Amino acid sequence: MSGEPTGALRFSLRRVGVLAEHAFLEAVRQRVFQFTTLLAAVLVAGSLGLRELDFGGAELKFVADFGQGALVLFGSVLTIVTTVQLLGGELENRTVLPVLARPVRRSEFICGKFLGAWAVVLVFCAVVTALLLAALWLRASTLPAPLPEAPNVRVAALPYAGVLAGGVLQAVKFGLLTAMVLLIGSYAQSNLFAQASSFLVLAVCHLQYLARDAWQAGHGWLERLGGGLIGLVFPNFQLFGGEYLTAGADGAALVLVGRVALYGLVYTAVFLSLAVWSFRRREI
Amino acid sequence: MAANKTDPAQRPPAIEIRRLTKDYPLPGGRQRVRAVDDLSLRVHPGQVYGLLGPNGSGKSTTLKALLGLLRPTLGDCLLAGVPGSDPAAHRAIGYLPEAPYFPRFLSGRELLRFHAKLAGVPRAGREERIAALLRRVGLAHAADRRVGAYSKGMLQRVGLAQALVADPPILILDEPTAGVDPGGAADIAALILEQKARGRTVLLCSHLLTQIEEICDRVAILHRGRLLAEGALDELLGRCGRQSLVVENLPPEELAAFEDWLAERGGRLHAVERPAARLDRFFLQTLERAERATEASAVGTGGGAR
Repeated sequence: MSGEPTGALRFSLRRVGVLAEHAFLEAVRQRVFQFTTLLAAVLVAGSLGLRELDFGGAELKFVADFGQGALVLFGSVLTIVTTVQLLGGELENRTVLPVLARPVRRSEFICGKFLGAWAVVLVFCAVVTALLLAALWLRASTLPAPLPEAPNVRVAALPYAGVLAGGVLQAVKFGLLTAMVLLIGSYAQSNLFAQASSFLVLAVCHLQYLARDAWQAGHGWLERLGGGLIGLVFPNFQLFGGEYLTAGADGAALVLVGRVALYGLVYTAVFLSLAVWSFRRREI
Repeated sequence: MAANKTDPAQRPPAIEIRRLTKDYPLPGGRQRVRAVDDLSLRVHPGQVYGLLGPNGSGKSTTLKALLGLLRPTLGDCLLAGVPGSDPAAHRAIGYLPEAPYFPRFLSGRELLRFHAKLAGVPRAGREERIAALLRRVGLAHAADRRVGAYSKGMLQRVGLAQALVADPPILILDEPTAGVDPGGAADIAALILEQKARGRTVLLCSHLLTQIEEICDRVAILHRGRLLAEGALDELLGRCGRQSLVVENLPPEELAAFEDWLAERGGRLHAVERPAARLDRFFLQTLERAERATEASAVGTGGGAR
């Protein structure tokens, strides 16, 4: 019946695709996706209600920052909860047994979960970023014209490219976070432990720059060594903030976006490989 | 050579477990508990093989080691000659886990589609096969209902369908009738026998000894991870060369004459017992009678209405 060839079972993108589609379907049918997306959308739309504050061009930056904050906060929650549920839930409920009893490599299983979870977060990022751009356009169209004494303030051109680049970088960051959560889930014995550890790792990654500072300017060798190790193992999530991009999308800024995205993708590949290695050793 | 082709025992085993030992570390890591102890088994193609034992005897651990879900401490397990830890070996099997849980967000049809795709069932004819399997296990009416709304018995049935979705030559079923009503258990037994008739190999664990007795060719009895007994049912139960006659209202003097008659022909009356009616058979027969009565009355009513 099976259309598979005989012999050794090679890594198959087809099976990864089937597993990813399954994971995506599971995640979008969960309430956490619907709830976080709705909440982030409400927050972005709510930023339009701040009409009594007339900041001119600065108001658009305020709206952009507000929206980016919603994207970062709810995107992080969505990534961790969804990924833990997709892997840990499957292990806890033992729904993984008939799947791994199929001709499926464990590396395919982890890669499928990764792609499925990341796809969900990409949808979230796309929806929130699109809403944020729409909110900015709506608000910019109702702002007063630039004052004669400040003709260089072109409010409508200010934050769009930055918001778009910020959305892309956050999507890359959430992919990296997905890989890190999968690594934790590959050896965690409970969902609670996996979620708590993942939020801790998220905090460490956001504060990683402190470790790098300690490495470069620490007082003792212990502080320098500890800072160096943390700075090396954990990626710096502050890089994905994109604050430096809000001034526009000139060539240098685009190169910077590319370099940060590459930095995120390299870390993602490393953590995903570790997750596969760890899951292959796990007894189910 | 011809004998090799026809006698399953002469062909390479479909499932082979060689000196399997599995230890689990206890919390703290210093002490270990032995779940399976030096177990060796061979299941030949076309056999239905029962793995029996009380809870905690190592049955599920044996099956998990066979599927490569656990690493054996010692020994090895082969599926169609390939180590069970190699995912390539899983092309040959369909597996129903104990008390199966399936993703609650999928419908029965979506679940089978997912497993069919994973197993590499070709797109052409896939949907027809899924529909046929759902009909076969009696779930056609609930095919598009979420699995989360299924009863225990329905979960077992859809689990069995997912095990069969790629039409594998080897079926590994862990408690296939747990939580299923007697009618459903009889259906599942019939389905297993159907697979045997098609030349499939079945390894199953069950607590329902009556059912095991009816469908298995060979059994192994495990206790605390060790193999206590193994063999063909007729050998184990001493049934070889014996027949039973059920007679009614035979006077004692006639029984003595019958015994003499048997002795003259080289036979021996082994035991005289009061035959016990089997509750499961009585239950099923009662249900069947009720079903027939309901159908008959429905036909009568329907005919009148028309």
